[in-house]
Amino acid sequence: MILNEEQAILRETAAQFFAEKAPISQLRSLAGASEGQGYDPQLWSEMVELGLPGITVPEAHDGLEFGWMGLGAIAQEAGRCLVASPLMSSVVLGQNLLLNCGSEAQIATYLPSLMSGETTATVALDEGRFFNPDAVATSDASGLLNGRKDRVLDAGQSSYVFCIAEQASGDRGVALFASSAEGVSIDSRRTMDLHSAGSILLDGVPAEDTVWLAGDDVEAGIQQTIDQATIVLAAEMMGSAREVLERTVAYLGEREQFDVKLATFQALQHRCAHMYCELELAESAVSAALTALDQVAPNVSLLASSAKALANDCFTLISSEAVQLHGGMGVTEEMDIGLFLKRSRVCNQLLGTSSYHRDRFARLRGF
Amino acid sequence: MSQSGNDRLNKEALAEFRADVASWLEANCPLSQRQPIVREEQIWGGRRRVFPSSDAQQWFEACRERGFTAPEWPAEYGGAGLNAECAKILKQEMTRLGCRPPLYCQGLWMLGPALLVYGNEAQKREHLTAICRGEIRWAQGYSEPSAGSDLANLKTKAEDCGDHFLVNGTKIWTTKADEADWIFCLVRTSDVTPKQAGISFLLVDMDSEGVSTSPIPLISGESEFCQTFFDNVKVPKANLVGELNGGWAVAKELLKHERKMMSAFEGMLEKPAMELLELADYAVGSDAQGRLNDAELRSDISRHLMRETALARLGERIYWQGKAKQTDSRLPLLMKHLGTTEAQAKDELILRSLGGEGLSMDDVNVSEGLRKMVKQWAFNKSLTIAGGTSEVQLNIIAKRALDMSSGERK
Repeated sequence: MILNEEQAILRETAAQFFAEKAPISQLRSLAGASEGQGYDPQLWSEMVELGLPGITVPEAHDGLEFGWMGLGAIAQEAGRCLVASPLMSSVVLGQNLLLNCGSEAQIATYLPSLMSGETTATVALDEGRFFNPDAVATSDASGLLNGRKDRVLDAGQSSYVFCIAEQASGDRGVALFASSAEGVSIDSRRTMDLHSAGSILLDGVPAEDTVWLAGDDVEAGIQQTIDQATIVLAAEMMGSAREVLERTVAYLGEREQFDVKLATFQALQHRCAHMYCELELAESAVSAALTALDQVAPNVSLLASSAKALANDCFTLISSEAVQLHGGMGVTEEMDIGLFLKRSRVCNQLLGTSSYHRDRFARLRGF
Repeated sequence: MSQSGNDRLNKEALAEFRADVASWLEANCPLSQRQPIVREEQIWGGRRRVFPSSDAQQWFEACRERGFTAPEWPAEYGGAGLNAECAKILKQEMTRLGCRPPLYCQGLWMLGPALLVYGNEAQKREHLTAICRGEIRWAQGYSEPSAGSDLANLKTKAEDCGDHFLVNGTKIWTTKADEADWIFCLVRTSDVTPKQAGISFLLVDMDSEGVSTSPIPLISGESEFCQTFFDNVKVPKANLVGELNGGWAVAKELLKHERKMMSAFEGMLEKPAMELLELADYAVGSDAQGRLNDAELRSDISRHLMRETALARLGERIYWQGKAKQTDSRLPLLMKHLGTTEAQAKDELILRSLGGEGLSMDDVNVSEGLRKMVKQWAFNKSLTIAGGTSEVQLNIIAKRALDMSSGERK
């Protein structure tokens, strides 16, 4: 990534902050909390103080306007520590959906409290086993909102839910309601990466408790938000992949067998070199996608799919190899390597598997 | 004058140069030389050069007179003396008009740049000029049957006989040596250790008595490469480049340009008869929604195209990092391995797509364009071997990018 001066400072600040305030031990402490608690609210309020919710928000809306490359750099640093926070659910998904799909009045109503950390939001996108935003059954056909949403990130701690649903008109829209609204029940589960996601059952949420986002082009806004979140998640995954590769190479440099460091074995050197090649290749795809977001380029969707597919494959490879190369230690809870492995598999399912993105890429390219 | 004044002046001069070059190209590059290149029509220099057409000759001669066969070389040696910015503009304008390269020559891409650094005045005058003018065709004599990845193990011996060296030995993988006039060689001039310290860089006229070549048939049905034999060949002392026993440094300089050449080669190579997507559609067909009928092939092509784009982006990252003075010296180490591996992945997709039409290199019932793809698939297996095998690349990456130590036991 080529960062400008502001972005480089931001990255440095974020790296220090996460290393100090959100090391992996902090993530582990969530294991004992209730299933609905996916992050530490205290950590989030400190992240808000750093200005993280405003990174990509335009200055007109009191944001920092540091761009997507800036946010990508922060996501990477968060990925290095496997940070659990509502950065993805509330900021990258929630706030952006509001900015991309909401009317000026709606943005003015909901954005300030999200950016100040007073409230948080999440986006209810998935239905069923796999991510497929084009197949949405949740609808308000009966005048009441009915349906079931899955894998809603941080659902148990969110004040609001932005729900992708079919409107009476048949178009896809975004219904906004409070998570405490009538007819809404949330069943939260801790995922194996120690983050939290929930299923939301919508059993006749009354129209008066629901606000439909009413921007100029809601459908395009949904697409845009999904692309943005996909790219930022891919950036976060690259941070995690880089961290776990570095930890592995360092381990091989320390561990001795047959009277030599493991790092001196060519078989292991080649596996690490291969991983490093894959890492920088995927990083390049992510960097291309972040640049395209900053330039509002027409091929963002294509680059988003490339970035996510390559990040999935790369993080999967590196986290599996990391466990293997750590030997017996790799499968113990004493080390954090297993958490990177689990995080990679959870991320693979969020916002599209590699097969989903290869299919989407082909569709966009017309083959 | 102020900095911005200088910049403006510079900008104006560059714009003027661009306009001048564009109109010169318009006037001097025949339309036939603006078609995508095919291999048979490449212009190679040399004593036995034959122009594929009179248009090709005209185009070559026009470029030769303007120094455009070697735009960045000094004018006194036959180049055009352009600075990097002007050379870039020339390249852009040639690309825009689709002009073919006016000259193909290993002397141009590899030997010349090394001679500019290590050659003495007489050598530069003699050889650089002959290269620019397409008069001498060069071959490279590095590898030997027992010195491949372990190049420093080379054994071709140059014995000091007073006014000349007496050369004995053999070189292998010498590209097109049977058509070359001169060969630049790494030869052993001392048995000291380390082996690298006993190697010299020597230029040999292949018309000398005792030089012979024999083409090596390849799995692609062609013989791009030869084995070259030296049997008591007398080489004048004046043909030593750089210091005696200092050939390794020259070889390393040259290698830099070889890698650069590999990456610049894109537009110089013949385009396939069909691009991958076109071929896949031709071969397996598509459904009503335009999706390829072979779902696995479709997914694998997606993966390849994603990786190919990412690879290009990696190249850009390296370029922009250099510009921004944020160079990550690890990244260039990855290009050869990633690039050649991905090129082979593409060849495999092409061969898969060809199906029954990809089973033979010389079945006349299959169009020539498709057969060329099969040959290309076979030939490109050499990509991960030539110029440093993938295994050597991975060694280098582990050592230099990941700081993993090599295997000495303590």
